Amino acid sequence: MISAIIGRLSQAFLLLLVMSVIGFIGIHSVGNPVFNLVNAETATPEDIRRATVALGLDQPVWHQYFRFIGNVLTGNFGTSYIYHLPAFQLVMGKLPATLELAIVAMMIAAPTGILLGLLAGRRKDRPVDRAILRLSVVALSIPSFWLSMMLILIGAILTGWFPSGGRGPTGALLGTEWSFLTLDGLRQLTLPALALALPNIALIARLTRSGTIEVETQDFTRFCQAKGLSPRRILFRHTLPNISVPIVTIIGMQFGGMLAFAVVVESIFNWPGVGKLLIDSIQLLDRPVVMATLTFISIAFVALNALVDLFYVVLDPRTRRSA
Amino acid sequence: MKTDTMRTFWKRSGRSGVSLPLLILMAYVLLAVAASLIAPQNPYDPLQIYAWEASSSPGTAGSGGYTYLLGTDGLGRDIFSTVLYGLRISLFVAFTSTALAALIGVTAGVTAAYTGKWGDALIMRIVDLQLSLPTILVALIAIVTLGPGIDRIILALVIVQWATYARVTRGVAMSEAAKSYLDAARLLRLPTRRIIFRHLLPNSIAPAITLVPIELGHAVALEATLSFLGLGVPIDKPSLGSAVANGFQYLLTGQYWISLFPGLALFGLIASINFVGENVRRRLDPRSR
Repeated sequence: MISAIIGRLSQAFLLLLVMSVIGFIGIHSVGNPVFNLVNAETATPEDIRRATVALGLDQPVWHQYFRFIGNVLTGNFGTSYIYHLPAFQLVMGKLPATLELAIVAMMIAAPTGILLGLLAGRRKDRPVDRAILRLSVVALSIPSFWLSMMLILIGAILTGWFPSGGRGPTGALLGTEWSFLTLDGLRQLTLPALALALPNIALIARLTRSGTIEVETQDFTRFCQAKGLSPRRILFRHTLPNISVPIVTIIGMQFGGMLAFAVVVESIFNWPGVGKLLIDSIQLLDRPVVMATLTFISIAFVALNALVDLFYVVLDPRTRRSA
Repeated sequence: MKTDTMRTFWKRSGRSGVSLPLLILMAYVLLAVAASLIAPQNPYDPLQIYAWEASSSPGTAGSGGYTYLLGTDGLGRDIFSTVLYGLRISLFVAFTSTALAALIGVTAGVTAAYTGKWGDALIMRIVDLQLSLPTILVALIAIVTLGPGIDRIILALVIVQWATYARVTRGVAMSEAAKSYLDAARLLRLPTRRIIFRHLLPNSIAPAITLVPIELGHAVALEATLSFLGLGVPIDKPSLGSAVANGFQYLLTGQYWISLFPGLALFGLIASINFVGENVRRRLDPRSR
């Protein structure tokens, strides 16, 4: 058990190290951030030299990397070239917006997907099953950016039910601003959350369906039927717990995926979260913020997966022995 | 075993005939290949574009002597023509990157399984690292590192996709490598390269083939997403994704057609690929029969 945890952590650490090297080199090879500080047309060579020294760009690349790693370990990602704020603080400031979006999206996706999947699995090869299966392929085929735009077109422009972008008013809770505390905030949240939720509904439904079909053929389901339990009770008290492990896995992984996919949805809905910050920073060549954001998303994803693995132990006693 | 699955696949596809999604996909490929013959306008040629007819609604008669069936975009380019030419770029990028990724991934998987030891460990650790991150994140990191351009985006997609092929192929090749026909090949003292590519690879390739349509759909979607974010193909030669992106700013002022039609074409393309992939998977998976 302990060796498994150590193995996981070392793999996670290695992953982050590789990520940081690639990310650092990547950010380094794109454009010269000096021209964000000085005007490219009017700057004298002296201005450019001073700006280069101020950003630490006169040092050798490996030196910059080690300084960067040292700073990361102490939670210091450097100062944003654009906002002149600590990069890490900037990312943390945007985090509640993204987190809120992903949580609401998952709260829509998980129950809907599981219910649809159970329904399809119970009626295997019937019209309902076929329809759900086909619709899931269709839902997984819609590119998320186009889905977002069509949601804006239908939900905002044609009907005017929802606003087309932005975050709107927020309410304070635990020292942070949250949209779901105000009615207008909830309306702002609806479209982007739907855009994030739809592909996940399809994914969760497909997984639940195949799990249900597998479990329904096993002896204990027959036994429950023979005992005269109602189909509903069998479905929710016996089938669902037995397929919960893969469902929890996919929910955990997709939650991490949502943090990454929020890049697309947030930039379309102008949602002031981590993803929009990343795209803006890439375009503005704001290296410290890009690094801080990528590192943060990776850490969040790796940590989520580790959490899901630990959660197995609670859900499925069989994994306690093998772990 | 695996040759059996391949045979079943061909037999079944012969029996059930060609499916509708496959027909649609073939139509897409045909339209992309014949784009310059069908499209009324070459959207890359500024001389054929009438800038004063920018943002015309669908059905407007243009100065070039043809009707703008799907309207024009903010620069005056005919949307119908842009979609056809964009289709060409999207399909080119997706097919090239999928082919390269499959080639590299399958080779890496088979080699890892056969050579074992540190080569295997090295390749599979890289694969594990990569597959433990969401694809969109890997793609973003790759494209930020590589910079924009069509060749770069193909490279980025190959980097994203090869790992899946490698993992799947290695799994099968490991169990094949333990079989007696490979012992026989080794006892005949055939060269290692010949054993890997003439004996092991053909018998381990079936699951990689089922992956191809799925990954092709992913490639189209990923390229479109990166291009939409402005990190993919250059803006003057739009793929379907960048064509949708071009229309985004006009969407809010009600000029829906600039992003609606390229998006519909993109959606139809990905959907037909995914349905074909679903059929292939179902045919090769004996459990779902």
